[in-house]
Amino acid sequence: MTTAAADRGAPDRVYVDEVPDLIEPDEYGDHPEGDLVRLRISVTETGVEVLGDALRPATLEAVLRAVAPGPVEQMLCG
Amino acid sequence: MTTAADQRTGPRWQPGVLGVPGAGGKVTCLLCPHACVLAEGQVGACGVRRNRGGVLETSTHAVTVVHLTNIERKPFYHVRPGSRVLTIAGPGCTFRCRYCINYSLSQYGQDDEVPWRAQAADPAEIVRRAVEEDAGIGMSYTEPGLAIELAVDIARLAEPAGVKLLWKSNGFLTRKAVKHIAGHLHAVNIDVKAADEEAHQRLTGAGLAPVLRAIELLRDAGVWVEVSTPLVPGTASEPGQLARIASTLAAIDPAMPWHLVRFTPEYRMRDCAPTAPRLLEEGRRIGFTAGLRYVYVERALGEQGRATCCPACGTTVVARGVWSTHSVLLDDEGHCPGCAHPIPGRWK
Repeated sequence: MTTAAADRGAPDRVYVDEVPDLIEPDEYGDHPEGDLVRLRISVTETGVEVLGDALRPATLEAVLRAVAPGPVEQMLCG
Repeated sequence: MTTAADQRTGPRWQPGVLGVPGAGGKVTCLLCPHACVLAEGQVGACGVRRNRGGVLETSTHAVTVVHLTNIERKPFYHVRPGSRVLTIAGPGCTFRCRYCINYSLSQYGQDDEVPWRAQAADPAEIVRRAVEEDAGIGMSYTEPGLAIELAVDIARLAEPAGVKLLWKSNGFLTRKAVKHIAGHLHAVNIDVKAADEEAHQRLTGAGLAPVLRAIELLRDAGVWVEVSTPLVPGTASEPGQLARIASTLAAIDPAMPWHLVRFTPEYRMRDCAPTAPRLLEEGRRIGFTAGLRYVYVERALGEQGRATCCPACGTTVVARGVWSTHSVLLDDEGHCPGCAHPIPGRWK
């Protein structure tokens, strides 16, 4: 998931083709309760982008919404 | 992508198929086995089909997303490895799975907190883009069966252009629905989420038997079928469930690919833990023990979990990365290069 600069009137979430993984499969076993969240914060031409990955999507979304007001971009399953 | 204006517009209804008029202006919807009997103005259990003036109508000639993704993401492992799929999704689902990662789309009409996010579909534009990208067209993320009218409209334009139609479905379809769509489908990945009716009903709000029947009917009609099972706590991850699912699938066809999918805590099951890798490893062993020849885990077990190996000589015939294909050693007819054993699939 990512969140970008605020866009007044934009939808609360946007579905995107792809978001890079920040968590590798061999880390799953080290976090059996799924409490791992990883963030990558970048300065882009249009503002600040926060990219996140987590084993619990709701936790990540809460973090992203707390740190930036823009729409959350997320991938879908399937 | 949808805009805020599109969301305000709301659903557009148009006539749907598989509606049977009855007494008193009622209509029975025979798309899914819920077989809702709808009085005037009533909306079905799915939330996207209704009776208006004695005519069954659908709001699913619509798309929320149009994404270009690798075919391995659907997942399909025995269908044109390394190809891409232009994936579309309308709103709604015939299931109400408590763990659904895509609930913000799939549960439209069943969950009052999920808004309308779709816009009218343009089949010609979807096919044009698929041709341009040399991609198949996938209907996924939500239940494609609910958009059967859109699927047929797309297929009629796609088939002359050589573009294949693929579904990721829950398989909860009536015989009539399968008959209506099977001739247009190239391949389907169907979820089998539980081993018995009680567990399946508890998780999805729907029965298991119609899902298993749809698998057989689609296969009989010549559609390529792969199966996915998410290891949901309280359902497929419980002791004995996977072995029974694997036996059921092996009895249908031991060469039918089976994908084991990691559970992610989401929607109404956020209090559970994600699937441990050892359970996926154990599930893979259970599948092979039951006689299934192609059992896959997409990420958690590394390349070995994603590889297609010849069941006769053990040669790795398709090697995959995460959501991608590294190499295909099969010939055009799907024979192993080591021993010429046929590996079933739609490889071209």
